[in-house]
Amino acid sequence: MFVPFFYELRAHGIPISPTAFLRLQKALNLGLVTTLEDFYIAARSIMVKSERHFDVYDRLFAHYFEGVEFQDPLDKELEDAVRSMLLEWLKDPKELANLLGLDPKEFNKYTPDELVKYLLDRLKEQTERHDGGSKWVGTGGTSPVGHSGYHPGGMRVGGAGGGGQAIKVALERRWKDYAFDGPIDASQMSEGLKRLRHLKPEGPKDLVNIDKTIYQTMKNGGEVEIIFDRRLKDKLKVALMMDNGGWSMDPYIDVCRTLFTYATTNFKQLKTYYFHNCIYDRVYEDPQRSLRPRKTADFVRDDPETRLIIVGDASMAPYELGDDHGCIEYSEPQSRSGHWWLSFLARTFPHSVWLNPKTREYWEITAGAYTISKIAEIFPMFDLTLEGLEAAVKYLIKK
Amino acid sequence: MKDVKPLKEFEGTESYVLDPELRKIVNISIALEMPLLLKGEPGTGKTLLAHAIAQDLGLKLIVLNVKSSMKAVDALYQYDTLTRLNDARFGDSKRNVKNIEEYIRMGKIGQAFNSEARVVLLIDEIDKADSDFQDDLLDVLDQMSFDIIEIDKTIKARHRPIVVITSNAKKDLSDPFLGRCNFHHIAFPSAEIMHNIAKAHFPEIEKNVANAVINTFYHLRRVPNVEKKPSTRELINWIRALQNDPGFNAGQLGKDGYVPYLGVLFKKSLDLEQAKMYINS
Repeated sequence: MFVPFFYELRAHGIPISPTAFLRLQKALNLGLVTTLEDFYIAARSIMVKSERHFDVYDRLFAHYFEGVEFQDPLDKELEDAVRSMLLEWLKDPKELANLLGLDPKEFNKYTPDELVKYLLDRLKEQTERHDGGSKWVGTGGTSPVGHSGYHPGGMRVGGAGGGGQAIKVALERRWKDYAFDGPIDASQMSEGLKRLRHLKPEGPKDLVNIDKTIYQTMKNGGEVEIIFDRRLKDKLKVALMMDNGGWSMDPYIDVCRTLFTYATTNFKQLKTYYFHNCIYDRVYEDPQRSLRPRKTADFVRDDPETRLIIVGDASMAPYELGDDHGCIEYSEPQSRSGHWWLSFLARTFPHSVWLNPKTREYWEITAGAYTISKIAEIFPMFDLTLEGLEAAVKYLIKK
Repeated sequence: MKDVKPLKEFEGTESYVLDPELRKIVNISIALEMPLLLKGEPGTGKTLLAHAIAQDLGLKLIVLNVKSSMKAVDALYQYDTLTRLNDARFGDSKRNVKNIEEYIRMGKIGQAFNSEARVVLLIDEIDKADSDFQDDLLDVLDQMSFDIIEIDKTIKARHRPIVVITSNAKKDLSDPFLGRCNFHHIAFPSAEIMHNIAKAHFPEIEKNVANAVINTFYHLRRVPNVEKKPSTRELINWIRALQNDPGFNAGQLGKDGYVPYLGVLFKKSLDLEQAKMYINS
């Protein structure tokens, strides 16, 4: 009776092996499971091996066994997207109130949940996709909410149209791709990054090689001769720069965070910096990009053997890359164009790559195609898939 | 490898507050003879669970603390070549140099297999080691046996140990490994459960104090942009610190920025600054 449920789970992307299913049958036969609640717990612990799938499991289970409607994932994802944006908006409640056409005092009465609902209702009013209109949500429109209409800093006016942001992301369900067969999975990531640790003998010979010592001692007829080896020391320095700003990176932040976590465990010397969209005069050591800035020019003092890995979707308005005053953050000092600074970094660190969470097949058709192609001229660009990462690592190891 | 007397069900202990779901999972894993893999934030009691199981079932606990440089064979056995070399050269020990077996030392897993009685084997923070470690352990845990190559001998578990594996979710474990384990993710406890946990650690704590402290604690977990959120462990230490402070006023806690010993909860200086800003705003 549970076979259809099993297939349903698999169909929704939870990787369940037949062995796990049989094991569940065994648990049922052992009489361990007597109630539906037991079954819920047992089936999950035996078949679902990642908390990332717990949510899907819950929803499917509810649908299957209690007749509760399985919510369309689009709704769910929309809600998630709205929620994540809401956090951003709430930093400036007044602006948000204006956007929604509410009186700021009125606005204070709404709880975050009500706001989410309000926004979702607005989104659903729109039954089809339309670009360039004047209605609520769309691409390149004149309305305040939607693509290119609004920026938390209150700066992004005009901008280059074309998409790549905010609500459009939700409407196109691009997250779906990242849930299962999108860029790299965490376990593969470890495999790829491990290759970065190229082991290079350095330093004094101070490690006893027991096998060789025994061999040599035997050869000497029992006269002990101790053989020393060099310590295997990982001398690889890595600088990681991540684009953690703006909505266009939102769908990728999880992926980047995984990469980042792996990086910390895999290298001895690792420095992480953050930037928003493009690199200008400063990068930041703190994810909030406010407390610990570092002058980009200072990188010239670092070891040029440092491997520089930049993670970003490279999708931005052309002026952000090419203009001497292209930075979209008001407070950010800027003396030269992003293009100049990127070229500077590429000159400073001959071993550098750009990792793009957007997979390669989208590079030419996505909203940021122009800047992607420009940046790919400066840095070898790889996508954040296993193949892409392998190629990037191979490139970085080269002398 | 059959157990003579069936084990009683695991029911939790006085100092370990167990939620019913987790108890069920533990018992299913024991019955199915499968390792139980626990993931979750640090400080959610993953490691303590193994201690609680051992205590409650009256079994011995053997802990294998995984280190990043560890190889699977280290956990199984070690061939002490250096001592043998020494013995061979100076011959002043009672060991028989010709008998390699005398120079084999059991690792933690070897000890668990060799134990006369059934044991609880805790493999702590398996994600620290690289994936080869997990892959090498796969067969060992599956077959409950391993070979000592040097003396061509197979060590088989006398009693199948209850295996608990913890992971801090730094890395995902390999699929084949996951396939052989039961899995549970320990979510951060709700305020209600946290009350029980506080009660278990501080039986004498007054209700209004506990309320104030726990409410403030959950409030502080919402401080944005924090690298390491305070966990249960920090809460327990914090309560301890507060209780030792004669001037502590529970009624005032959280009001007008009155939160003493904030550093116990936030251990990174940047986080601490964020928390201070959050409280004072």
